[in-house]
Amino acid sequence: MKYFYLILILSFSYLSLADAENSVLVKGGNVFLPDQGFVKKDFLIEEGKIVSIEDQIDDGVTGKTIYADGKYITPGLVVFSSLGLLEIGALSETNDNSSDIYNAGFDPSKAYNPFSQAVSLNRSKGVTSTVHIPGASGYFSGLLGHTKINNGWKQKKQGPLAVLTSYGQSRGDSRAAELQFMSDLFDFVRNRSEDKANYETDNIQFFFGTQNDYQFTNRDLVAIRKLLSNKLPLVVRVNKATDILNVIKFADTEGIELILWEANEAHMVADEIAKAGVPVVLDPLNNIPGSFDSLNATYENVARLNAAGVKMAFYYNQGAGSHNAYLATQSAGNAVAMGVPYNEALNAITKNPADIFGLVDVGQVSVGFEGDIAIWDADPLELTSFVEKVLIDGVEQDLSNRYEELTDRYTKEKDLPNSYRSRE
Amino acid sequence: MIRKLFLSLLLLVLYGCSNDSFPLIQDEAEGSVTKFSNDTHGTYGSTYVPLSSENTVIRNATVFDGLGNMYENYDIHFSDGKIKALGMNLQVDAKEIDGTGKYVSPGIIDIHSHMGVYPAPGVRTSSDGNEATSPVTAEVWAEHSVWSQDPQYKLALAGGITSFHVLPGSANLFGGRGVTLKNVSANTVTAMKFPDAPHTLKMACGENPKRVYSSRGPSTRMGNVAGYRDAWIGAEKYKKSLERNPSSRNLRNETLVGVLDGEILIQNHCYRADEMATMINISKEFDYKITTFHHAVEAYKIADLLADEGVCAAMWADWWGFKHEAYDMTIANVAIVDQARDGAGCAIVHSDSASGIQRLNQEAAKALAAGNKAGFNISEARAMTWITQNPAKAAGILDQTGTLEAGKNADIVIWDGNPFSVYTKAEQVFIDGALAFDKATQFMPHTDFDLGVKEWEVE
Repeated sequence: MKYFYLILILSFSYLSLADAENSVLVKGGNVFLPDQGFVKKDFLIEEGKIVSIEDQIDDGVTGKTIYADGKYITPGLVVFSSLGLLEIGALSETNDNSSDIYNAGFDPSKAYNPFSQAVSLNRSKGVTSTVHIPGASGYFSGLLGHTKINNGWKQKKQGPLAVLTSYGQSRGDSRAAELQFMSDLFDFVRNRSEDKANYETDNIQFFFGTQNDYQFTNRDLVAIRKLLSNKLPLVVRVNKATDILNVIKFADTEGIELILWEANEAHMVADEIAKAGVPVVLDPLNNIPGSFDSLNATYENVARLNAAGVKMAFYYNQGAGSHNAYLATQSAGNAVAMGVPYNEALNAITKNPADIFGLVDVGQVSVGFEGDIAIWDADPLELTSFVEKVLIDGVEQDLSNRYEELTDRYTKEKDLPNSYRSRE
Repeated sequence: MIRKLFLSLLLLVLYGCSNDSFPLIQDEAEGSVTKFSNDTHGTYGSTYVPLSSENTVIRNATVFDGLGNMYENYDIHFSDGKIKALGMNLQVDAKEIDGTGKYVSPGIIDIHSHMGVYPAPGVRTSSDGNEATSPVTAEVWAEHSVWSQDPQYKLALAGGITSFHVLPGSANLFGGRGVTLKNVSANTVTAMKFPDAPHTLKMACGENPKRVYSSRGPSTRMGNVAGYRDAWIGAEKYKKSLERNPSSRNLRNETLVGVLDGEILIQNHCYRADEMATMINISKEFDYKITTFHHAVEAYKIADLLADEGVCAAMWADWWGFKHEAYDMTIANVAIVDQARDGAGCAIVHSDSASGIQRLNQEAAKALAAGNKAGFNISEARAMTWITQNPAKAAGILDQTGTLEAGKNADIVIWDGNPFSVYTKAEQVFIDGALAFDKATQFMPHTDFDLGVKEWEVE
């Protein structure tokens, strides 16, 4: 994973100077430290970064102080979602996280809309950044990228982080053919010249079976080459235990770095996953034998993976899914009820996403890390807790959102029809 | 084809696990009873037989009674499948369960489920929830699609679900009859049917019917409304014709006339406030009653109207954004409906999901917290009614279950902590006084489909 640090592209780094010069002292709260859990600490953010964490830091030196006595302070949630890429699921015209043109090289983060209503809701619920999950229609779904979800026009991004594909019954052909195809495709890319000129006119078609074909543009082939040179890992959405083992073996043979996604039957092969050092990104709540690939789905998945020493990150994939990506807290809370230690569960929605995808300086309250912070009124994994403040790169965020406005409009006393009332 | 596969994969990623994937298609259903087919005791009637139960008393628990009350250090005594008494230090000789530190609630009831008609695994060969062949299919009954071996029932049982209402989907204006089931293992659907539960009829507003039938109509919301009214006019004619020819059968109209006669309860999928108001107008034109609006994402906008009309709203805590009519979400929706007209509202937290049904207590907790943050002062005991008393009322079974009162069915959940906490699990579940689930011993039913599914040691 350390290789990624070398190739991460910080494509937008637009923190305004005015914001960056500010310092913020957060005082008196219970701060979640990745190795210790909640500890009473003060910490100082300068120029967007956490510069010190101490038992006590005196206030009044410079800048602003947030008094957080009795509050719970965590890194902002790092979610896996289509936030900013998708406004209304059933309206394809509002959907930018899929592509018919590109596959492996499709980077949906370019379409990020910072003013999506889903973004503002999730920000108000403690999310400070998202890993975009692409959904291209080709053999690969596309590239994962990371975006801060701060207010305003400009966001810090990291990526591309990985290439996403899937394996198992979700694909059209035999499992055997699918792996052979990927192997053939990789050989093809390996054997081509790296000279970019050779790619520029390429629009490679791979014929597969008798009726299906996949198209690869130059951009896609470049992304595949990054997989093969270990500049990007391959994320495989796969559920069946036998498939998981085959994918691990495949990745080993091909010499590519692997991350498992969803992995409903991972618990059956937890030791093998641990031995291969492969991380798993999943929703602890997936316990339904919803397909013949998931007949052994169980609530015990995460506890067994944790016991085997597998590194995990959690996302929330129930109900409204991505629009409620912040409910990763509910998934994590349930994981605790299923036997995952509390600190592990909270790390699985903050630190571990960053570790697994090689994100630089996000996901923890540690010196040197970016000041992405959520301040909660109580246990952040509990259903009845609320976020009170959110900082992104040390800047306190406006947490207003359309859903609070709707609530206010229909709960406050009124002397005029709703539609004439102030939007404030 | 591959692209379609990927699109469906995308939808799965967006909308949830592979089996409760896409609310656009899966949500909704209905059912009914008429003079010709009032079968609750007849051909299609319940053949349910409770498991054997013991004379039992739970001691010293925190009890939510489902009527809006919470009692500490309470005992609850049940025998012969019925609740006998609640109180402190009950003087009874019965098998004792120590409830110290535990919470007790009525069995949880989901008014909106598709378990059985959209069973797991979610394959097309058992996708039996939407008879999407005509906008009006009041003649179909969800119970005739229910797969009694659906492995999802026991997962819901582990979440405290003792009864659930299975509805057809929402593709049609009239989707067909719904059925209320006991969450018990059986080889036939009649052996799961809740005795004496009324039939219901699923209707659907909005985007789904007009999308599914866009080429043949209805293709607009006004087309939807014309479709409902046409069907009711046909039902009125049919009802009149029965005076001349009492033996004439018509499955579709038998269901609709069952509604007009007040025997069949309307369960109406409807997201938008303005459409719900229109549906209420239609019910007045044809003199029938709407029991519940389902999904009702905008119910908060007409909470007073719903309270005045005595219509329940069944809602998710926080689902939104998967379709345009689900855009105006507030997590305070349930609370606003509940508190309308000084607490006269009938609010229900429903699932429409084989995942969500396992955690209705958690969904109620989120709705409760959002409501109180919005300025209400709602107790946990009141929020418990959203998943017990009120869905029982909406399913027409409140006389039998839904609250902990002497004489009612002993449908009871013992929780290992406060059910409004994310860390709490159902510890034991009783249906008609019989132990149906025990977390400690993993006592629970396994369907035939579960057999042979093992965890092989990796060599």
